[in-house]
Amino acid sequence: MALLEVNNLTKSFGPIQVLRGVSFSLSQGQVLAIIGSSGSGKTTLLRCLTGLESPDSGSVCLSGGGSFGLVFQNFNLFPQYTALENVMLAPSLQKKQPKEQLRQEAMDLLSQVGLADRAGNYPWQLSGGQQQRTAIARALALKPEVLCFDEPTSALDPELTGEVLRTIKGLKEKNHTMIVVTHEMEFAKSVADVVIYMADGVIEEMGTPEQIFTDPQSPRTARFVQAAWDTF
Amino acid sequence: MFIPVTLELLKGFGQSVNIFLLTLLFALPLGGVVAMGSMSRFTPLRAFTRGFVWVIRGTPLMLQLILIFYGPGLMFDLPALPRFTAVIIAFAINYACYFSEIYRGGIESIPKGQYEACQVLGLTKVQTFFRVILLQVIKRIVPSMGNEIITLVKDTALARVIAVYEVTWAGESFIKKGLIWPLFYTGAFYLLFCGGLTLLFGWLEKKLDYFRG
Repeated sequence: MALLEVNNLTKSFGPIQVLRGVSFSLSQGQVLAIIGSSGSGKTTLLRCLTGLESPDSGSVCLSGGGSFGLVFQNFNLFPQYTALENVMLAPSLQKKQPKEQLRQEAMDLLSQVGLADRAGNYPWQLSGGQQQRTAIARALALKPEVLCFDEPTSALDPELTGEVLRTIKGLKEKNHTMIVVTHEMEFAKSVADVVIYMADGVIEEMGTPEQIFTDPQSPRTARFVQAAWDTF
Repeated sequence: MFIPVTLELLKGFGQSVNIFLLTLLFALPLGGVVAMGSMSRFTPLRAFTRGFVWVIRGTPLMLQLILIFYGPGLMFDLPALPRFTAVIIAFAINYACYFSEIYRGGIESIPKGQYEACQVLGLTKVQTFFRVILLQVIKRIVPSMGNEIITLVKDTALARVIAVYEVTWAGESFIKKGLIWPLFYTGAFYLLFCGGLTLLFGWLEKKLDYFRG
């Protein structure tokens, strides 16, 4: 039984059809990487899943009534709060646990992303990679069923992408279900269980990383993957 | 002469400070209401609010003062408002309109990502505004608000056009007695008050310096 069922999602902005019927499913603990060129609808798909956009038609079914978390390209941390306060804000507004327990949980999450010693720092005192790892901890604090990443390393200097990607790998080992929109082919290949190549608002091809990267069925996928490898 | 002049100026200055404080008391929240109107997604309300702000910002405060004091009687046969009340109403409306534009600019300058982060974290709209957006807006508008509030200090002198006593009038009253120095002394009152406000706003800016964005 799939954890997540996405059925025939469509979404238009004015005359532009950004999603033209997207369906897929995902099981507990799987990591899905979504690749594709800009404007292919990857980000819109993620925004429809996480509720930032409402699809024109189609359905998103998350079994057990769980929720989605989202990590943004630009982190979107709250500048007036420390790393710890960023992680604690939503739980402290929504959960009825004692503050001390929430604080401990938030500290555990920060340790998990390797930032225990940065808990008291404000976002401007953190590097881009540290900010993104704080944002990951913040998204995890609500214990989402599925954690989504929208190009989590695209706003980072190249030397900082590694620490964020390692953090995401670490989450896979803890059996988190994740959807990662990414341009990092190497990462998609080594971490994902399933890869979706999107083009023009539809899933052009979906399969294991081996299939997509070494034996793509669609010529379009083959061209994209070839071009992407050439760039790296 | 120094002591009687000081006493007289203090009497006028007290009234200036009253106008200043009462205007802020009403205009600071009223500006928020006007800002909400001018950002409303309901077009007629937005158009009306923006038109109102245009009229208030596009005509002299002095004219508005005169109209609010004499208008009700001359146009509708209503009893005239007490002079001081008319001053506060005119000032509060006028400054609320200026404040509303500063608030609007501040709110609209907050990146959309902040709202989206709140939304995916399940914050309500009220929590989003008060826990995340408001302090960032305040930090951004402190310099412009300081500017506007310092202008208000000196605008209180306009109250005299409908015969409300204040410190400029008090200073000028000594001219009849051939004294010019009380006018400079009057200036010192304004300077000290504005100096205090400048320090206060500088302190507030520093206080909010711990975060960026």
